[in-house]
Amino acid sequence: MKRIDLSAISVREGNELLRKMAEQEDIIEVLNPDAQHHIGVGLTSPCTVKIRGSAGYFCGGLSDGARFEVDSNAGWGLGDNIYNGTVVVGGNAGAIAGVAIRGAEIVVKGNMGSRAGQVMKKGTLLCCGNANFMAGYMMYGGRIIILGDSGERVGEDMSAGDIYVAGKVNSLGSDAELIDLPADELDSIMAFLDKHEIGFKGSFQKIHNAGKKLRYATQEPQRRSLPFFKHSAEMTYWNEKIQEDVFVKSQIGRYRIRGYGTARALPHVSDIAFRKKIDPDRIESGVVDQVRMRTEIGGINGAEPLKLSMPVMVAPMSYGALSASTKRAIAIASGMSDIAENTGEGGMSDAQRGAAKQLIFQMLGGRLGWNIHDMKRADGLEIYISQGAKPGLGGQLMANKVTKELAEIRGIPEGIDLRSPSRHPDILGADDLVIKVEEFREATGYRLPVSIKLGAGRVRDDIKIAAKDGFDFIELDGMQGSTGAGSSEVIEYVGIPTLSAICEAMDALDEIEFRDKVQMVLMGGLRDGIDAVKALCLGADAVAFGSSAIIAGGCIACMQCHIGQCVTGIATQNPDHEDRYSPEQEALNIHRFFESVRWQIAAITNALGYDSVTQLSRDDLVALTPEAAAITGLPYEPEHRDETDAIAIKAS
Amino acid sequence: MCGIAGILYKKDATSRNASTGHALIEMLNGCQHRGPDSTGFALYGPSHDDQLRMRFFIGTGDEATVATTKIKEILADHNAHIIEDEVVGNNYRVVVEFDGNVQKLSYDLEHAAKVISIGSSLEILKDIGTAHEVDDVYHVNSFSGTHGLGHVRLATESDVRPEAAHPFWATGFADIAIVHNGQITNYWKMRRRLEQRGFEFNTANDSELIAVYLADKLSQGFRLEEALETSIEDLDGTFSFLVSTKNEIGYAKDKLAVKPMVMLENEDMVAIASEEVSLNKLFPGQALSTMEPAPGTFCTWHR
Ligand SMILES: Cc1cc2nc3c(=O)[nH]c(=O)nc-3n(C[C@H](O)[C@H](O)[C@H](O)COP(=O)(O)O)c2cc1C
Repeated sequence: MKRIDLSAISVREGNELLRKMAEQEDIIEVLNPDAQHHIGVGLTSPCTVKIRGSAGYFCGGLSDGARFEVDSNAGWGLGDNIYNGTVVVGGNAGAIAGVAIRGAEIVVKGNMGSRAGQVMKKGTLLCCGNANFMAGYMMYGGRIIILGDSGERVGEDMSAGDIYVAGKVNSLGSDAELIDLPADELDSIMAFLDKHEIGFKGSFQKIHNAGKKLRYATQEPQRRSLPFFKHSAEMTYWNEKIQEDVFVKSQIGRYRIRGYGTARALPHVSDIAFRKKIDPDRIESGVVDQVRMRTEIGGINGAEPLKLSMPVMVAPMSYGALSASTKRAIAIASGMSDIAENTGEGGMSDAQRGAAKQLIFQMLGGRLGWNIHDMKRADGLEIYISQGAKPGLGGQLMANKVTKELAEIRGIPEGIDLRSPSRHPDILGADDLVIKVEEFREATGYRLPVSIKLGAGRVRDDIKIAAKDGFDFIELDGMQGSTGAGSSEVIEYVGIPTLSAICEAMDALDEIEFRDKVQMVLMGGLRDGIDAVKALCLGADAVAFGSSAIIAGGCIACMQCHIGQCVTGIATQNPDHEDRYSPEQEALNIHRFFESVRWQIAAITNALGYDSVTQLSRDDLVALTPEAAAITGLPYEPEHRDETDAIAIKAS
Repeated sequence: MCGIAGILYKKDATSRNASTGHALIEMLNGCQHRGPDSTGFALYGPSHDDQLRMRFFIGTGDEATVATTKIKEILADHNAHIIEDEVVGNNYRVVVEFDGNVQKLSYDLEHAAKVISIGSSLEILKDIGTAHEVDDVYHVNSFSGTHGLGHVRLATESDVRPEAAHPFWATGFADIAIVHNGQITNYWKMRRRLEQRGFEFNTANDSELIAVYLADKLSQGFRLEEALETSIEDLDGTFSFLVSTKNEIGYAKDKLAVKPMVMLENEDMVAIASEEVSLNKLFPGQALSTMEPAPGTFCTWHR
């Protein structure tokens, strides 16, 4: 047996040692843990780790195949996201024990804190004492066994899975229901208790999902295509868009869900222009080779950065909202143009990983598809807080798209109207966020950049928190960003325009003198290389494209992504529809679009008199509208409007 | 955005080997990751009923001279006789003999200077930097005392300034201090209610609001546990806070239990912190039987 003494070395060194030792040793003892965080995080070798004392947050988190024995207590997030393996805690566990587990066995001999088993997918969480409130909150599967009392609101908004309570059931959560215990399930519980040598005599009550909230009562009707652009152009009080809205609501009797972004005219980067007159006829054909565009993102704190051939990325878009073929096409295109692709919500597929040269892996509050193995094969890790189109809300995926295959990769039941949680179980403030970021770094050996995706809301404060919490880069997404599905009212009316967002963000970084300590990727309604250059001038280090990428790949912008019957085979999980889509062909189309972006960025940068995109600055811009001048603080010079139109025409 | 800590020794100092100041430094050092920007301590020394200890931020150089002169003038106006004074770090510390109206005196002082704390036994030491850095300047370690609170802060919504550091004292009420992790969402509603009754606020910080809220209840004759009980109903938002008076400490935790809190109690002491790692700093290498206070609960301990 080997020993690791945490009074002599840091947890980071301890974890490195642990991973090395675990390749050979069966049993490793950790001395003087003193409730420090992240012990054993990211361990993927089968061995037993005996922790002689208390462990802090995320003990054994993001691990697979190991066994952890904690003599005393464990802090928040015990066994976070474990794939397989065992954790036994001799004392009490803090809040969210067993959060997001995907197959572990977790035994807490004492009591456990609130929200135990939140968003768990599979496995067993046993508490020998009492649970605090909302055990099984939003669980998607697996079972929780509580030998003591359940606490308040047990099973709150669970989608599936089973909760067994031997003591008092204090109160039931929303959509949870008490039923008699089937005999075979009692046998299985007793077998589990025997296996872990827990003596117990008594009976159980069972709590499961009552099934009243898993589906909307009426599904969205499919409509004749009324494209997004039509919406955006009409500013009259009564128009086709209003008509459609009223009609759809008359069918479903509730708020409406749709794809795409806000269709209202809002301040945008098209309301600013370049100060210098750009003569489209004088742009040289070899301009792409004359401008330095290579951009490294995420290396600022010592991680291995993303190396982009130009300051451009693909915006995170989920496999789920989009078909697997579409995700593959985008991945191929990103590889061909040598920029980064992003998984979005819902996990990473082999095809996508294989095709994308550089891939960011995104984690949302539901932890759908999140796991240590894909983390390790990613090139960047991202924490989603919110997105510009619907700040404060989680993802939505209607039942039509929640197929068996998709449900499996996400770890959720098939065929539900999935409303992903809008909050993370373990990120409730800037202080917890620090500990979460550290967990990712521990799990992946501090190798990968860690980013945060923020929908523009309370931009100033959020940017300061993100910067101070040590993220390597921030993805800031404005109100003009699109979504695969969201409530129409929120998409239209909630958010901060992208132009305002970037200006506020830069002010915030200046206020705390962090401009050089974190990088910024801007997205949300950026359409092409011209918009990209304006974003770079305003202070972004790179931009990301969502809508443009899918439109380049054949999307007709009918805004019915949520229905799942996409005629182009893009926003669907229906194999018949997906067949219409040719990933190889569309990959070339998307790639060509990215190359046009490259040309535009080079041409404008060159025309502004520079040979590197890093030389672009606010001084290169003027405002075309009084609103844009007020938002950006740029001089109001509306006479530049005609010139802007000229470059746009030339470039298109 | 922070970490909190509090400790109360039930017995006299002879039975322990470290000072209260030292214990709090260790506890805050343990959770400094929760707030690297500034650190602060509320410490209670021996109390003299006819004396007040005061601390002010005075800055440096000419600014400091002007501030000190002003403070002395106001003290003289109120017949507060200085018996001890010194400049420590960017603080002016003064002990006065005083038997008048503390609230009146402190509001007058607030209008003219940056008051950190006033009390017959309380002294708040806080500044930019880590627990050890603040100790280096203000000698926290040398405070023996019986109980105290501590706080580490990550500055996000306001600047990194010493006066934005915690703990806060209950402006106008001697000897009451607070450390708080969370966010009070009905801040303005509560503040306006208290302002209408003549109370003054020195910052826009919700921790100051909790301190004044509790102090007001105490001055109306409620016991601390009664004030804590009503605070859980009256305050909206997410919070875990610790409060201290001349001879007691207490905690309250909101019903959502969004902000962590762990406690350890034995015959000699009670210690409460955001994370167990802070408690283990007091007892390295030991497995502790800690407990997490339940949501929506409160408790007090006194000497
Ligand atoms: C089909 C689709 C799916 C999306 N899925 C995600 C997601 O899983 N995670 C995320 O952070 N953003 C998601 N988004 C939002 C985009 O990342 C991005 O914020 C937005 O598309 C940027 O604006 P743009 O489309 O105007 O370029 C999605 C957008 C679309 C159109």
